[in-house]
Amino acid sequence: MGPIVTVMILASTYALLAAGIVIVYKASRVINFAHGEIAVVGGYLFYSIGMFAPGSLWLAIGGTMVFAIVTGVAIYLVLMRRLIGEPFYVAILVTVGIAILFKAAIIIVWRAERVTINVADQIVAILPGGAKFSTVDLATIMAAVLFYIGLFAFFRFTQLGLQFRGMAENPLLASQRRVSVNAIMALAWSIAVFAACLSGVLYGGRALLSPGSVAIGLSGLTAALVGGLDSLRGAALGAIVVALAEYSTIRLIDPVLSEAVPFILLLTVMNVRPWGLFGTREELDRV
Amino acid sequence: MSIMYFKRMTTALAVTAVVLGAAVTPANAAEDYTIGYITDLSGPLAGSYTPTWEGFELYMKMVNDRGGINGHKVDLKLDDDGLKVDRAVTLAKKQASRDNVIGIFGLSLSSTQGPVLAEMRNIGVPVVTTFSGILDSLPPAKPYSYSTGVVFEVAGEVIGELIPEIVKSGKVVAVTIDTVGGRAAIAHNKLVVEPKGYSWGEVIFPVRTADFVPHAQAIIAQNPDVVVGHYGSSQNLGVISALRKEGYTGPYVIAVYGVTEDTVKLAADKSGSGENLYTVNRYVSATAADNAAVQEVAAAAKKYGTSKEFSTMHVTGWVLGKFAEEALKICGWPCDREKLNSVIETLKVDVGELTGGPIEMSKDDHYGPSYWQLSKWDHANSNLVPIGGWLRKDKLEYSMQ
Amino acid sequence: MTRPGPFLRTSYLESNEVLPRPYHKVLVIIIVLMLLLPPMLMSNFYVHLLNTVLLAVIAVVGLNLLTGYCGQISLGHAAFLAIGAFTTVILTRMEVPFVVVIPAAGMVGAALGLAVGLPSLRFRGIYLAISTLAMHYAVVYVVTTYQSSIGSSASGGVYLTDPSFFGYELSDDRAWYYFLLVAAALTVIFVINLSRSRVGRAWMAIRDRDIAAAALGINVLHFKLLAFVTSSTLASIAGSLAAYYQNVVTSEAYTLELAVAYLAMIIVGGIGSVLGAIFGAIFITLLPYGVDFLFEFAPNSWRFGGRTFGVQQGMIGVFIILFLLFEPKGLVEMWRRIETYFERWPFRYRPLEQTRR
Repeated sequence: MGPIVTVMILASTYALLAAGIVIVYKASRVINFAHGEIAVVGGYLFYSIGMFAPGSLWLAIGGTMVFAIVTGVAIYLVLMRRLIGEPFYVAILVTVGIAILFKAAIIIVWRAERVTINVADQIVAILPGGAKFSTVDLATIMAAVLFYIGLFAFFRFTQLGLQFRGMAENPLLASQRRVSVNAIMALAWSIAVFAACLSGVLYGGRALLSPGSVAIGLSGLTAALVGGLDSLRGAALGAIVVALAEYSTIRLIDPVLSEAVPFILLLTVMNVRPWGLFGTREELDRV
Repeated sequence: MSIMYFKRMTTALAVTAVVLGAAVTPANAAEDYTIGYITDLSGPLAGSYTPTWEGFELYMKMVNDRGGINGHKVDLKLDDDGLKVDRAVTLAKKQASRDNVIGIFGLSLSSTQGPVLAEMRNIGVPVVTTFSGILDSLPPAKPYSYSTGVVFEVAGEVIGELIPEIVKSGKVVAVTIDTVGGRAAIAHNKLVVEPKGYSWGEVIFPVRTADFVPHAQAIIAQNPDVVVGHYGSSQNLGVISALRKEGYTGPYVIAVYGVTEDTVKLAADKSGSGENLYTVNRYVSATAADNAAVQEVAAAAKKYGTSKEFSTMHVTGWVLGKFAEEALKICGWPCDREKLNSVIETLKVDVGELTGGPIEMSKDDHYGPSYWQLSKWDHANSNLVPIGGWLRKDKLEYSMQ
Repeated sequence: MTRPGPFLRTSYLESNEVLPRPYHKVLVIIIVLMLLLPPMLMSNFYVHLLNTVLLAVIAVVGLNLLTGYCGQISLGHAAFLAIGAFTTVILTRMEVPFVVVIPAAGMVGAALGLAVGLPSLRFRGIYLAISTLAMHYAVVYVVTTYQSSIGSSASGGVYLTDPSFFGYELSDDRAWYYFLLVAAALTVIFVINLSRSRVGRAWMAIRDRDIAAAALGINVLHFKLLAFVTSSTLASIAGSLAAYYQNVVTSEAYTLELAVAYLAMIIVGGIGSVLGAIFGAIFITLLPYGVDFLFEFAPNSWRFGGRTFGVQQGMIGVFIILFLLFEPKGLVEMWRRIETYFERWPFRYRPLEQTRR
């Protein structure tokens, strides 16, 4: 499928995940280690709804969206809110705990089965070389592009987006200007979980979902770190870098190494430019 | 009710729970044969091993309903090792010392086998595996370790021998996951295939790969005439759909490591066509409608209910069940580990048409001759159609050790 | 009771006591005696469980030094265990005896700890955790490649024979129990002493506010590296012992989940306390078997579909979250509450002679 197209599709998946991580970090300085798990659960949920009511795509989409928003708000209200003021590692370890819980949920509820989402598999185009470019592939790329455009517009042009940015800079000051910190944080988590679920569903449409698929979360995290944890633009670029690195390793060097690539990348970035390509420099000293 | 009170109550309850936590062992019925079954029911290979266990359980349920063996019922102790080595060893020890099992069955094609076999050898508990990744059961066989299923190296060679039925010449590309077993299977595959005049290529990818498109591209770049996949269900699913998507329409062989028919069907559906899909199996496919023995298993499945769709893995478990029943029957009552071990050592069990011939154990060979068959997937009827007869494999041709 | 109260100390020696209350000393003696009993009373399986716990204790007190006392979050503990195990593999293939391998594994672990610790000078907090995470994957990749390259028996790991310790062969679970008990005891004593020394105090200062510690004249660089090196040495030794105990080494065992499990032990047990680390090790190691045990009362059909395993995994997550939310100081805090409850019993102490009217 032409290397370029494959890399673009891979990058889109990672970009959606990275966007979620960046949003949560911007709002609350917490790195969400549960992102991959949330994405895969979203995919499984979509699959289940689809199995339950076959043929109604919109029901599945709607159901997953509702799940995403509810889960995002719930995670914030029930867990994260109580941890304000604790040392940084507490929130992160709680997200690790959430990750474990979600993974266990996959095993318990869906019996650790491998599933694949068989929707929108129609062929859009046949590329040179005989490969097929299907609707799902198109949807992945479009989803990532549209999501980012949406986010940029949100932050730049809406009142809520402005409040979000203000809160990201200085929560105390923002709260004194009648910005509801809780609401913004809950919103941030909802957007993040939604992005993750979107990514998971599209991923399930293309490839397999299994408890092991949660590894995409770490690639997404790497993409976010490479680009800068508090920069959306960085997340997009980071996703492209990671996707490119993985793909070239598989095709040109040794497929077995491709698993370690995100981390080699991470080590390199940490040593050369720890705050990422577009992150703010002071992040390093603040923590 | 202040928070302090709440915390004190929790502490008190915690203390009480700890104090009362003395192990109460559920009583072992002294009149039953107690055998253990340990396998992966929830980890990466659960899709293959859950139906295998179900097949075994079905057979044992049938046996118990008929009144048991020698008048005694069979008490099955099931444990899930989640494919973790330390858990598998601990559970094996638990079954051996606390539950007092006289034999352990099952296990899984993974690194859990070696240590469990070694530990059980020390204690003296016979272990019969359905799938074996290590050579303990092949000659010269180590004591207490037996297998009625698939051994990586043997399978690799068998597939090599069956490839001429698919394509007469050309390039064989073998694909596997980065495990020692997978690599061993490919190595043996290569050793058999190259002298026959085929050219060879291989692609190895990480165990946790979920997106197979780049790897499929790497495979196609080698211009294969036939692709053989040496791994389990999920990888087959992923690789087949990716290969078809990327434009490869040639033959693909699903090797025998625990792939169920519904996986094949899913792969065929997802890739848009069921053409050119082959499987190699030691036991008959569950879709063989005209095979009386398979129908017997299917009937039992329907009667007792199974959580997974009836597949060739159920047949594998069923065969193991039959093997266990024969062993216990000959052992008599009371039966202990030593006696059971000596019975199994020379056991010959005829499982009818479930495979090409009887399972035979001997002192030096705890695996025996095995029979394998190539089948082609018929998408229209959703079943596997055998091609050619049963290939009998007596021993490993090449030794890599 | 002649003591005027639990908090009155009249000499420096008294304030430095490890076991300040009289009943502590009695309790320790009782525990030591109880620890000698299991192999004689329990079946092989329980002794095996205890051995697993002891191995976990050796590893986790090392992590406690790094994370609990020095405040550096490390996700790389599984990697250190792996290094210890694979060093053992390499050395036993060269016929090096047991008593040499263990310290050697420790030294290799120390070297790796140094390498991992170096980024700690640049990063703090989450970035340090990320760099340890990266290191974890790098190490796992290296050992997996090594394992494939030596062509160990198909799908198995690498096999080791039972070690012989000064002529005595350690093959039986019971023999191992006593050996590991002594090893764990020595490790715990070592760690307790370290934490009460200048080194320990420096670590705690760094944990609390490393800029202030530097201002006080503590060489932050030196002590951070020392923390990494000590913790990795202990972890490597634990990994090496585990390799000998299990007689098999597979690289698949060293997952991120293992590193998280060790962190969970520290969290659940109580950060920054050796007793807490021990409690945590016992709790988290035995948790899956506790769940198994509960499931035994459920019919067989409940067990598969992965429910047992899923519940076990989920339990670790549940406990991490519960403890972080409601009991951040861990199990050891519960123990201290029990202690305090009894200590504050009314009229338990007499007033000092001088204050008597």
